[in-house]
Amino acid sequence: MSCGLSPEKLVRLNDRHHMFAELSSDLSALQEYPPRLHFSAKDNLCAQGFQARAGSRILEGYRPPFDATAVARMRSAGRALIGKTNMDEFGFGTFCTNSGFGVPRNPFEIGRSCGGSSGGAAAAACLLEGHMALGVSTGGSISCPASFCGVLGLTPTYGRVSRYGLIDYANSLDKIGLLTRDAKDIRTCLPIISGPDPKDPTSCVQPPLALDGRHVAQVAVPEEAIKNLSTGVEEEFRKALKLLEDQLGIEVRSVSMPSLQYALSAYYVLATSEASTNLARYCGMRFGVKGGSISQHFNDFFSETRSAFFGTEAKRRILLGTYARMVGFRDRYYMKALAVRQLIISEYNRIFQDSDLVLTPSMPFVAPKFGEIERMKPLEVYQADYLTVPANLAGTPHLSLPCGYHEGMPVGMQFVAPHWEERLLLDIADRWSCAFSYQFPEAEE
Amino acid sequence: MKIGLEVHVQLPTRSKLFCSCPTTAESPNSAICPTCLGFPGSRPILNRRALEMGVAIAQFLQCQIADEVWFSRKTYFYPDLPKNFQITQYDSPVGVNGSCLVGGRSIGIWRVHIEEDPGRIKRVGKSGEEVSLIDYNRSGIPLVEIVTAPDLTSPEEARAFLTELLVELRHIIGTSASDEQSVRVDANLSVGQERVEVKNVQGLRNLERALKFEASRQTKMLEAGMKVIRETRRFDEERKVTHSAREKEFEEDYGYIGEPDLGTFDVGSIARSLKPIETPLRRAQRMAGHYMVDFEKCKQIVLTSMAMADLFEALAERVDPEMAMNWTLGPISSNWNTLLPLLNPPVTLDIVTVVKHVADREITDSEGRRRIGAIAAGECPTDISCAVQDSLLDSIISKYLDENPQVVKDYTTNPRAANSAIGHVMKTAQGKYNSQEVVEAVKKEIEKRKG
Repeated sequence: MSCGLSPEKLVRLNDRHHMFAELSSDLSALQEYPPRLHFSAKDNLCAQGFQARAGSRILEGYRPPFDATAVARMRSAGRALIGKTNMDEFGFGTFCTNSGFGVPRNPFEIGRSCGGSSGGAAAAACLLEGHMALGVSTGGSISCPASFCGVLGLTPTYGRVSRYGLIDYANSLDKIGLLTRDAKDIRTCLPIISGPDPKDPTSCVQPPLALDGRHVAQVAVPEEAIKNLSTGVEEEFRKALKLLEDQLGIEVRSVSMPSLQYALSAYYVLATSEASTNLARYCGMRFGVKGGSISQHFNDFFSETRSAFFGTEAKRRILLGTYARMVGFRDRYYMKALAVRQLIISEYNRIFQDSDLVLTPSMPFVAPKFGEIERMKPLEVYQADYLTVPANLAGTPHLSLPCGYHEGMPVGMQFVAPHWEERLLLDIADRWSCAFSYQFPEAEE
Repeated sequence: MKIGLEVHVQLPTRSKLFCSCPTTAESPNSAICPTCLGFPGSRPILNRRALEMGVAIAQFLQCQIADEVWFSRKTYFYPDLPKNFQITQYDSPVGVNGSCLVGGRSIGIWRVHIEEDPGRIKRVGKSGEEVSLIDYNRSGIPLVEIVTAPDLTSPEEARAFLTELLVELRHIIGTSASDEQSVRVDANLSVGQERVEVKNVQGLRNLERALKFEASRQTKMLEAGMKVIRETRRFDEERKVTHSAREKEFEEDYGYIGEPDLGTFDVGSIARSLKPIETPLRRAQRMAGHYMVDFEKCKQIVLTSMAMADLFEALAERVDPEMAMNWTLGPISSNWNTLLPLLNPPVTLDIVTVVKHVADREITDSEGRRRIGAIAAGECPTDISCAVQDSLLDSIISKYLDENPQVVKDYTTNPRAANSAIGHVMKTAQGKYNSQEVVEAVKKEIEKRKG
């Protein structure tokens, strides 16, 4: 067994944690690969040889005739795709409980959530040493599960990684990123998946990716972001701030970023507006699930399929987004949200004049138990994203790192860098990884 | 009566608007790819040629052109629309607030934008057992939409406007003449207060028919004291009537948002880089004004061919423009099909020379016609070319003066010395040239040698 992964162990782990929506049909081929060269793709990334269902039953059976650029580039770099990771349907969720294909279970405690929407990716990154999981973040879908599963999660600048072959949630917000145990692996894989791609025009305006040349000296902690934290997260976050100052010699400054409070509302307006148009194509024709009887009016045919195969959260977001786009509401919601996005970007830029990075906890609490999630109202779930949404709305690169453990569950902190300055995140990842010792659960049951 | 048109014309690009699929195909669903089928994970990439064509059209229609444009998603559910949204331009068209002269009247142009075409639905089978087949070859074909103000006042004028617009578009972007059948129009027409929209009328002839039917329907209703209701109607090509579409009881809400995958495009610089082009009808207007000739005749010339207009202008510079017109629409036009492929600068000069000789009464009308017929028949120009004959005359004179140098010397003191040369040339050329012509040519050559 040369790659450090046995097919039997993989299947056993997946039976327990459900992190994969689909595993490679030829896992024995894995043995051919040298260690640490296996990777997974979130189920909304197209990969030949696999279905691409984006966690949705409406895409059951969709086998894309092409590879997503990020997947193709990982494969060309000699890496083996071992499976497609489980996710909230189309990325709609914070706990990975909205998947059409089972719920992934937290590596630290199976009664708890992996976070979402790249929950399967975070669990795979945590459970499989040397594994690189490609995740996707629209509003925090990398930072959140990275935090809950105790791994590193990098979300690059919007436009850094080609979105060709990504099944869209919200095109102006979607970003492909990396989840792994090891900072060195991020340094290796980020250049592989980055760079202009003519198949995605929004990736073609990026400056070259720099990996070195800047060191983090000051970080800014917005006072608005450290309210409403659970006790455990607050305690661990404060300890981490002290470690940054004492051991890494980084100056920690408290700042005020009042416009962050508008980010969540603006995000949900923009994301659902775009999502409701992206999801219009799923109607039981051409790809994915086949609809019912075609001997009926097409409106009935479409509605029947969509009613039967979209999950509750997808339907909720389609309705929200369609409402925000309607004549009469468009200016009040959609156009206003676009203006807020600009406001948030200026707010970050103002802070970046004096600080290298902005730092907050990644999530206000540790991975919740499934029972707790069931009792949460949809709005409470949306509000849980208030720390991850601003950077996603601004399109700024960010990184979630494990920064402490509360009652055995990992706590994450999230650094945000200026546009295109991923190297600052790589610098802090390297230095933090030396100063802080990560814990990973024993993989064997 | 007020009529406003929304005209959709296919842009003659080789590939589609957002993918590299060809715009022509032999069998249904053969020119398709993940992008124009809206497969999850696929993405649009703009065909810049289509944008350039859109800008050229907007510029021709004297529109204001923004520096930057973007695209929008127009969401509605229909089986021929793979993504269930159409990528079009909503709050950022290529051009706005233009105008276009037709028959001396200025027709307002509200906007010009580009968008993708949906697929095509074909209904087959017996009534009651009909099946709908969808061909996505058309999905993603680039279209330009031109929206006029309700400035047209009759169905005839609407047709004339569209006919002329299509002529100009053929020249600007290279559409083919079949656009007269394929052009698709949504027309708004009001006789009284309320307007009615007749949607998706295909072809010039159907447009005029649909508008005539609708105008008379509304007139009759108003005369009978009935109210015209605001609605969308469809034109039945076979029965030549419009009927209520009865599809929507409410105004459709397309929920436009920006298309986030495409970004913005600098059309300002495209507009500045385009050379102004003179379209056929604009040329006809200029020719009519400049040469003081009849506009309709100028139009006839440019509608035949811009090459014929070139020939007319070459003639009008040398002979009286009325005569140039008569010869262009007469002998030249009647030989046009065989003449056109032969046209090049020497042949053009031959034709001009023939007409010039007729104008100068050196040859008769019928000889001129014969010579143009001969040029069109591709006969050797030396047999008929006046240009060549001119040089023949010069060579006879030169040869005589070379052999008799004293003629030039004597001419200084006695101009009659030229007579010997004139006599020799008249005799040698055997009446091919009139005396006035020979006298001028001899004197010119002697003066030159006197230097």
